[in-house]
Amino acid sequence: MNIYRAAFAAGFGRAVRQPGDLAVRAGFYLLLLLTFAALWNAATAAQGGDIEGYTFAALVWYVVAAEGAVNATKPRLIEEIGDAIGSGLIAVEMLRPVSVVGFRLAAETGEALARVLAVVVPGAVVVLLAEGPPPSSAGALLAVPSLVLAFGCNLAGQHVFAASAFWVNDAKATWFLYQKFVFLLGGMLLPLEFLPGGLEFWARTLPFWTMAYAPARLLSGRAEPMLLLGQVVWLVALVAAALAVFGAGERRLQVAGG
Amino acid sequence: MAAIDVRHLSKTFTTGSRRRRGSIEAVRDISFSVAEGERLAYIGPNGAGKSTSIKMLTGILYPTDGDASVLGYVPWCERRALVRHIGTLFGQRSQLWSELPARRSLELLGTIYGLGDPASRIAELAELLEAAPLLDVPVRNLSLGQRMRCELAAAMLHEPRILFLDEPTIGLDLVAKQRFREAVMRLNSDRGTTIFLTSHDVADIEHVARRVIVINHGALIYDDKVSAMRRSLLRTKLVEVRFDEEPGPIDIEGVEVLKAAALGYKLTVDTARRPIRAVLDDLLDGYAVGDISVVDPPLERVISQIYETPR
Repeated sequence: MNIYRAAFAAGFGRAVRQPGDLAVRAGFYLLLLLTFAALWNAATAAQGGDIEGYTFAALVWYVVAAEGAVNATKPRLIEEIGDAIGSGLIAVEMLRPVSVVGFRLAAETGEALARVLAVVVPGAVVVLLAEGPPPSSAGALLAVPSLVLAFGCNLAGQHVFAASAFWVNDAKATWFLYQKFVFLLGGMLLPLEFLPGGLEFWARTLPFWTMAYAPARLLSGRAEPMLLLGQVVWLVALVAAALAVFGAGERRLQVAGG
Repeated sequence: MAAIDVRHLSKTFTTGSRRRRGSIEAVRDISFSVAEGERLAYIGPNGAGKSTSIKMLTGILYPTDGDASVLGYVPWCERRALVRHIGTLFGQRSQLWSELPARRSLELLGTIYGLGDPASRIAELAELLEAAPLLDVPVRNLSLGQRMRCELAAAMLHEPRILFLDEPTIGLDLVAKQRFREAVMRLNSDRGTTIFLTSHDVADIEHVARRVIVINHGALIYDDKVSAMRRSLLRTKLVEVRFDEEPGPIDIEGVEVLKAAALGYKLTVDTARRPIRAVLDDLLDGYAVGDISVVDPPLERVISQIYETPR
């Protein structure tokens, strides 16, 4: 456990040592907040004040969490892992007495925490000053651990998808697909309630809702603890899947080379 | 007990799709052993099977056939246990996090290997490798030569008994290469670390290794001391002569003029056709020789001669 704690701390340190990256992310995030705020302002006004029960203020707080959770992870992590597998760098990691995927997940979680603090805190302060506090304080409290679970699920999910590089040697197409899933089915673009029936069903069935929708729904005023429970279940499942797929990939590498 | 013991090791990769299935024999039936503290160069041309061999010996690859024991472990079955006792340095793949100072990566590696006091071990290695001033600089700001010394510290942090170096000096300038070789030699002499080196740089082989194994097309084709390789495989000698007057055509059996500039000549002698002593006698008796010297051809030439051995 000590190893993973150290990896987490090193990952946090790595993100903090890149203030330029954090500043660009925070700037881009604030720009997104302003853009979405303008869009939702027009949309809610046109719909008579709310859409599917979401008021303008609720939607702005929704964006704070949804964009913040996804912004915390590296945008091209899948490609980066795929490159490490394709270039053989992963072999260097296999030569350490520690789980490759466990170590990577711990370090990436540390980095993601630093980023989420750097983007969501200023974003939340701006929205607080402009629109007042989140609609529900209980929901806001639940949104904090949910945000951490969200990027945890996202990181584990990216490792599952990236492991395809053990077989296909290139994770670029996988990254493209994954990004679209999180964008649409994860609730990053719109709350899942806004999706057409069939799509909403798949969005709620697949794990992507844990990566943006869950904390966003909580921060937008719904104190629904079951969302957190669902995230925990999916986190366990995704980490187990990442460990299993990487394990299979490592065994394939041992047999077939790379 | 030998540090490394390899018996009839082979690795065949399957290639292509189901319809056009093929295979490549990357390593074919190689056997050798390496004693503790030995300095071995494991060389061969590109695609000879060097990296595949290293991957099998470090447990990253399963062999198709044969056995190997590294420090008593079967690498591909006991990789997690083995890696606590070996260090690896791959020239183009870093163990260090580029955004962090090397010290931070070393501390992290210290935790991974469960070192009780990583700080004192880091200080010790920093002194040995003359890397102390580099440790607090972010790795991305180090030159390649400086980074490689930090990489070596990372590979040696857990006091491995064997150090696998795969093209460690690739891309380094002459001074950095020399410093790196000296650091490796110090590790070997001070700690008795076994060195297993692959390199295309002949100077690495000459300065670091005492023994050389050559593989080509996956098969072991030569295994002897570096000095013995130079002697036994040298069929040619280089003779540099300065004549006192224009010598005219040089017509001695087994001798070819490699280069002629004014009165200075560079000749090659095929010692299988005529012994060097006889050639020297012919030159001294038949020409007005002002100065003469005999040298071995560079090791590089000897190695290319071995590589060109038909399959």
